[in-house]
Amino acid sequence: MIRLRQTGFSYLFLLPSFLLTAVLGIYPIGWAIWYMFFDYKGYGTASFVGLDNFDRLLRDTLFWDTVVNTFVYAGGKLLITIPLALVLAVILNRSFRGRSALRAIVFLPTIISSAVMAVVFYMLFNSYNGLLNQYLLKLHLIPERIDWLGPDHAMLTAIMIAVWGAIGNYMLLFLAGLQNIPQDIYESSSLDGASRWQQFWYLTVPMLGPVLQMVIMLAIINSLKGYESIMVLTDGGPIGKTEVMYLYVYKLFFPTPSASFTADQQFGYGSAVGFATAVIVGLVTIVYHLLSRRLNQLQ
Amino acid sequence: MRMKKAGLAVSIGLLAFTAACSSGGNTTENSPANNPPEKPVEGTDNKPQETGKKVKLSYWTGDRHDQEYITEVIKSFNASNADNIEVELVVKTDDFNQAIDLAFASGQAPDLIRVKENTIQPWVKKGYLEPIDGFLTDELKAKFPVIPDFNQIEGKIYSLPNYGSTLRLVYNKDLFAKAGVAAPPKTLDELVETAKKLTEAGKAEGAYGFALNFKSTQSAMFRSARVIAEANGDGGFGYDFKTARYDWSSYKPIIEAFKKMVDDGSTMPGMESLDIDPLRAQFAEGKIGMYISFSSEPGVYQNQFPAKIDWAAAPVPTTDGQVHGKTSFTGGQWLAINAQSKNKEAAWKFMQYMYGDDILKTYQEKGFGLSMVPSITASAAKPSINGIEGFMPTENDGTWPLDPTSAIKVEGIMATDAFFKYMLSGGNLDEIVNDLNKRYNDALDQAIAAGEVTAEPDPAFDPMTLK
Repeated sequence: MIRLRQTGFSYLFLLPSFLLTAVLGIYPIGWAIWYMFFDYKGYGTASFVGLDNFDRLLRDTLFWDTVVNTFVYAGGKLLITIPLALVLAVILNRSFRGRSALRAIVFLPTIISSAVMAVVFYMLFNSYNGLLNQYLLKLHLIPERIDWLGPDHAMLTAIMIAVWGAIGNYMLLFLAGLQNIPQDIYESSSLDGASRWQQFWYLTVPMLGPVLQMVIMLAIINSLKGYESIMVLTDGGPIGKTEVMYLYVYKLFFPTPSASFTADQQFGYGSAVGFATAVIVGLVTIVYHLLSRRLNQLQ
Repeated sequence: MRMKKAGLAVSIGLLAFTAACSSGGNTTENSPANNPPEKPVEGTDNKPQETGKKVKLSYWTGDRHDQEYITEVIKSFNASNADNIEVELVVKTDDFNQAIDLAFASGQAPDLIRVKENTIQPWVKKGYLEPIDGFLTDELKAKFPVIPDFNQIEGKIYSLPNYGSTLRLVYNKDLFAKAGVAAPPKTLDELVETAKKLTEAGKAEGAYGFALNFKSTQSAMFRSARVIAEANGDGGFGYDFKTARYDWSSYKPIIEAFKKMVDDGSTMPGMESLDIDPLRAQFAEGKIGMYISFSSEPGVYQNQFPAKIDWAAAPVPTTDGQVHGKTSFTGGQWLAINAQSKNKEAAWKFMQYMYGDDILKTYQEKGFGLSMVPSITASAAKPSINGIEGFMPTENDGTWPLDPTSAIKVEGIMATDAFFKYMLSGGNLDEIVNDLNKRYNDALDQAIAAGEVTAEPDPAFDPMTLK
């Protein structure tokens, strides 16, 4: 009887989270999986089309371009963000005057809305009256305006903005990891004559192994999913150069209206593309886990 | 352990998927398709005067050029109406259509919505709008023209016209004078040449010959290439009303001219990330020589971005300098009532007020738009706003029939994106046009087969006899 009551209580406590997960997690996934096999515009009747949406997906060169763009964007962001965040964390883990203020400054971009950030960066980077070009021209560092948001540089600009926005967050996670490393290890290695670089490479990095593994995984997922700042900055343009997977999915659900007509929402195909993007993100994460097992064992 | 990790990764992926799809999920759940609008209006609503309670209505619009005036009008309605109705005005611009979709998805849609020629059809199909036939008196029916496909859909009227928009080449007269160019271009070759001269004259001060808002290629092309094509006799956004097939080859000379301006360096740097408002801000500062847009521009330069330059508007150039087709006089609708509104009668009362003679007349006289209501056109004074003269409707403006583009599902790159890509990075324009024709016609055939659209050839179609 007591046991039954205990079990009952356990289920009762589980109920709120289960309901939330069911309504906000399982239901939308089930909805999207269902509609992957339909042609549905959000009004009228949904017609069953079998695997047509996936057939279209395979032929959809626009989508596969966005996959490539996403990898360039995420790869670029990771390659710059992770080392920089780690170095900053190591520096800001030392005690010196103004450390807290510096930590706050580095962390600040994380709490600013990415859309607001993108608007501000648009003012800085746009080539016709952007502040960046004006200063570079005044300092004679460039002969003429650079089109930072043009086809050649838009992706680089988007990556730099993403790095700026993400670095504080990862720095904080690294800092938390660093503070768990016992100081006496450093002291004894100093006695053994280890240099600062040797301490970083042979002590800090291995001791941070599990944290690194988790932070990189979070960074991969966030980078592959990120699209908000790009949407505000370039809306995927010019000529699709910064169109990433999730922005493409968003536009299928909420097409950009034009001066002449409003395209229909494509719930069916959007769901199929959404599913494909989730599979891609999932696969990348699995591959990363397999490859990064050593990081977990370093400690 | 490995399985657990794989499971974790898959879960994370699924969560990402949820994020992408959850808003769509809500949309269906609450969409009018699932909750069909209740039938008509007569006598089904709360009557504000009976309850004595304040009825709060919200009116959402994407128009900003008339914001100051409409705010005043609404303030006066709120103060004077005898039915205790209070209207709140919400102005949203760039993301207006998405905001409406999201508002309907979340059950928070406004009672009244500004509809346009490109939104009335899809929003009727989605069940967002309430037919107003039941409210219309004979007097109102006689006063406001019915425009099939643009305010009357499948026999039901959803909105009434206020103003229409013409499309013109907008040009900076100061820069023209500085470059020694006497008149706006009449041919596409002259357009290219003029843009070059204007850039030569203005580049030192950061002014360039030509620009368009290519952040959205559709918005840019459909306010520019579209109207040039119409004046060439090829309206319909690539759809040929004579043959009932898509033929984008009519856009070739226009896109070639645009590309030439890009290659010459006559277009504003950064044009590819320019939205319409930043473009207007630059034009107001004198940094742009020419662009093509709607007749809402005079209001913009009066109120939103006061122009620091002398400017004017002129008919768009054509390939050979001759006009072979009427250019779009778009419009035919203004306010509409939300089919899900709980206060439709109150909403109609506000709508009636907005369509009153005084407001419509003042609207034209202040230059916010060119009236499409014959009695207003006859009685209102000429708009007192700089730049409107060039936008006044002429015998070369008319309303093109609705083309089927909204109703077809084209796979792959859209025509506007393909053309802009060609402008920036080159390629074979003939191949691009052939590919577009094939994909657009395939999509048209599929839509016809599915019964979603009808397309009948009209060999006698004459683009110069449009009304």
